[in-house]
Amino acid sequence: MSIEVLTLLFFGSLLFFLLLGLPLAFVLGGVSVVFLYFTWGFDSFYMVSSQIWGTMESFTLVAIPLFVFMAMILERTGVAKDLYRMMHLWCGGLRGGLAIGTLGICAVFAAMVGISGAAVVAMGTIALPSMLERGYDKKMALGVINTGGGWGILIPPSILMILYALITGVSVGKMFAAGIMPGILLMVLTAIYILVRSHLQPELAPALPKEERGTWPEKLRALRAVLLPIGVVIMVLGSIIGGITTPTEAAAMGVLGALISAAVYRQFKWSVLQEAAIRTFKLTGMIMWILFAAHAFSAAYQSMGAQDLIESLMNMIPGGPWGIIIAMMLIVFLLAMVLDPVGIMLITLPVFMPIVESLGFDPIWFGILFVINMEIGYMTPPFGFNLFYLKGVVPPGITMKDIYSSIIPFVIVEIVGLALIMIFPEIATYLPDLFF
Amino acid sequence: EETYTWKVQSHWPGSSSSYEDSLVRLQKILEERTDGRLELELYEAGSLFKAKEIFNAVSRGILEMGTISPSYAQDKITLAGIASGLPFAFRNVWEAAYFHQGLGFEQMLRDEAAEYGVYWATDKVYPTEMVVKQPINSWADFTKLKIRSSGALQTFLTEAGAAASYIPGGELYTALDSGIVDGAHWGASQGAFSMGLYEVAKYHVQPALNIAGTDVIIVSQKALDKLPEDMQNIVKQALDEQFWFRTNEYQYKERITLAKAINEHGVQVNTLPDDVQDRLTQTAQKLWDEEGKRSDNAKKALDMLKDYLSELGYL
Amino acid sequence: MGVLTAFMRGVTRLNEVIGRGIALIVFAMFAFLIMEVAFRYLFNSPTVWTNELTQMLFGIYAVMSGGYIMAHRGHVNVDLLHSHLSPRGQAILDILTSVVFFIFTLALLYFGYDMASESIASWETSYSAWNPPIWPVKAAIPLGTGLLVLQGIVKLLEDIAVAFNLSYYTPETQEDEKGEAL
Ligand code: NA
Ligand code: NA
Repeated sequence: MSIEVLTLLFFGSLLFFLLLGLPLAFVLGGVSVVFLYFTWGFDSFYMVSSQIWGTMESFTLVAIPLFVFMAMILERTGVAKDLYRMMHLWCGGLRGGLAIGTLGICAVFAAMVGISGAAVVAMGTIALPSMLERGYDKKMALGVINTGGGWGILIPPSILMILYALITGVSVGKMFAAGIMPGILLMVLTAIYILVRSHLQPELAPALPKEERGTWPEKLRALRAVLLPIGVVIMVLGSIIGGITTPTEAAAMGVLGALISAAVYRQFKWSVLQEAAIRTFKLTGMIMWILFAAHAFSAAYQSMGAQDLIESLMNMIPGGPWGIIIAMMLIVFLLAMVLDPVGIMLITLPVFMPIVESLGFDPIWFGILFVINMEIGYMTPPFGFNLFYLKGVVPPGITMKDIYSSIIPFVIVEIVGLALIMIFPEIATYLPDLFF
Repeated sequence: EETYTWKVQSHWPGSSSSYEDSLVRLQKILEERTDGRLELELYEAGSLFKAKEIFNAVSRGILEMGTISPSYAQDKITLAGIASGLPFAFRNVWEAAYFHQGLGFEQMLRDEAAEYGVYWATDKVYPTEMVVKQPINSWADFTKLKIRSSGALQTFLTEAGAAASYIPGGELYTALDSGIVDGAHWGASQGAFSMGLYEVAKYHVQPALNIAGTDVIIVSQKALDKLPEDMQNIVKQALDEQFWFRTNEYQYKERITLAKAINEHGVQVNTLPDDVQDRLTQTAQKLWDEEGKRSDNAKKALDMLKDYLSELGYL
Repeated sequence: MGVLTAFMRGVTRLNEVIGRGIALIVFAMFAFLIMEVAFRYLFNSPTVWTNELTQMLFGIYAVMSGGYIMAHRGHVNVDLLHSHLSPRGQAILDILTSVVFFIFTLALLYFGYDMASESIASWETSYSAWNPPIWPVKAAIPLGTGLLVLQGIVKLLEDIAVAFNLSYYTPETQEDEKGEAL
């Protein structure tokens, strides 16, 4: 059977079982096993357990439970709630103010973690209830978190960029520097979208009524609520930048900061911590089982000859250099819906990079486009992993349909950002050229 | 005539020079010499199996071929510790090459691997060298260091008095850049260059921490047996040639990469002072004996190594 | 209480107890990482064991979560079709798709067991500088998968009961609803 037909069957059955309501982890795993059986035989199932073992051994993933744990403690102890009350008092007069504040927190979070997943779950826990409580439309709130939560791979540090650098041979430092301005650009664009949309439809992101906006003394007193979160951020970012910890270890510093905050709030109690630990376990486990299966899935897909498919696709693309770049973006975007980042890079980069370089494009710039496309893929229905991570934390009553439909305008905004970076490559290349 | 397709899982990422120079080379040679009857399907590091699982997969016959570092097969191959390099033993690459091919260490490895249905062929011998952010000019400079290391060298560097810790490859650049560690080893200059380490650490330390057959090509015996006799011979001969060709070529590439690092990144070669070298050698020798305790075979190989080094006038 | 009911309650209870215990590993991971930072940064003497131990604990933590999460309906799915179906319709659909679940988990159980028993046979260690035994972590793969399979059987029995209106299980005793606020 040709790889083209296999691909259609492979992804078709994925979609089929997913829509029938089987959890994503089992769909990915089960479909992989069936296809492995027909393409490689019974013994190849060993690859599935071997991939799971490899995932268990991946040290950088240790950051997931720790960052989630940090968020759970901050939420359980009321720190997160106070932070949102403060934001509401200060920018509550602005329609969409809370959503924009959330974007800011997402950006800071992205600067602390090098992987997505942890950020989506953490922000879903901290930000979603606060926005819903204050009358925000659920789709607006979900979209903001899904978008902002994905920035972890674009804003440095980023495990993905290190991997890209490793596979393509570009400088890691340049990749990191290149991610900063696109990250800010996406944030600004998303904020503009929120402002415009909530100006047109105030009911989606209501401003605080005048009489509730608080007096200056109240506002100033509420500012105390940012001290602890800022302290946590300083502990995490400071220890990465200051050379005290690796990004993974920094997650533990975040937990330490959250525990100190809990003590300050007089919530340093076993019951609180235990509950935070159990919720962390459920969410981390959910993410990890998806990753287990996703790694098995991408290994299975690669064994079927995915790279040959990409190669033959590239040979068919008309439309000159830009047509090729856009086709590449499209492929990454589509693959990012179902494959883990490592898998996507392994399949596509060996085919893409020689072409990108021979066309005279800057591999750093291409890397940023690559990462953003992956990010968009992760937030796009039906498979996007971030959608599933978010579903894991939403309160009852929010369905996958809500999450799916919430994402459309935000994806469009990200695509606009992507287009801007394609047209003005300086957005990505200015800082690396300046620093190095 | 029947054609054979082998799945080959590499432990090298595609960007590693060895992926092209060792694997793609072998792929071309085998295809040419078998008139296209043997086709290698190459997979970059991590595609189908993680590096540490490649030996198991080849041993089970799921993969027909793979590349590994001997340290990934330590639990099965008792000689793996010696194969992946005793610190401060050889001083030149040719010495290690002769130990493998002239004195029969390669055959000893091959015999051990055969018990697991694996045909072992060392791809090349080459040095492992360190890069550091500040030059080492004295013993005190060395013991102050925090070094990213792994496996046996981590034990060695710790025993010698430096603070060696393991940091995964993905975080190495950041760790070195921000000063979590002051030094690291990732292959020698080609490895350091590919990881971007010269951007953040400007001193390339010599002599090598070890010189060893750190890259190995393994073939499933089952797959090999399925080939007609003439093709089996072609494979084995190509692998034998590969060792000599690659060992030599790698040395050449090490040197030009180092020259490039010196030109482009202002890297300096930091030769360890004699007293530092002496003290490191003393520590190293104590550790060698540990490796000899793993099996009778390991004892035999270690004795052979010590005799050889005495013969060379190093012991 | 019939055998089936007892089995179902027993499995769920087992996963609950194990899950609540394993969940506490997050404290250990946190503590070991902080220790490593302190040892390295404050005393300039990194340990050989903290990071590796943390990673091993994480592996166990992750793989042992499957059954517990299944018991709490925490493996996320797409509910587009489900939300239009009656409970009975949902149950019938889940019975059908459970084939894919069992194909995956049983393959994993078989080869995970294979991998673990090979590791136990040689009391496999990691051969790092610290060189701890890693067979317990490998053993966690079939164990964790086994717990997931058991809970999957419970889920299947529940669905069969709902689909065919059998008496050994009444949905009222079920954990809240789907998408429970975790
Ligand atoms: Na980040
Ligand atoms: Na995805």
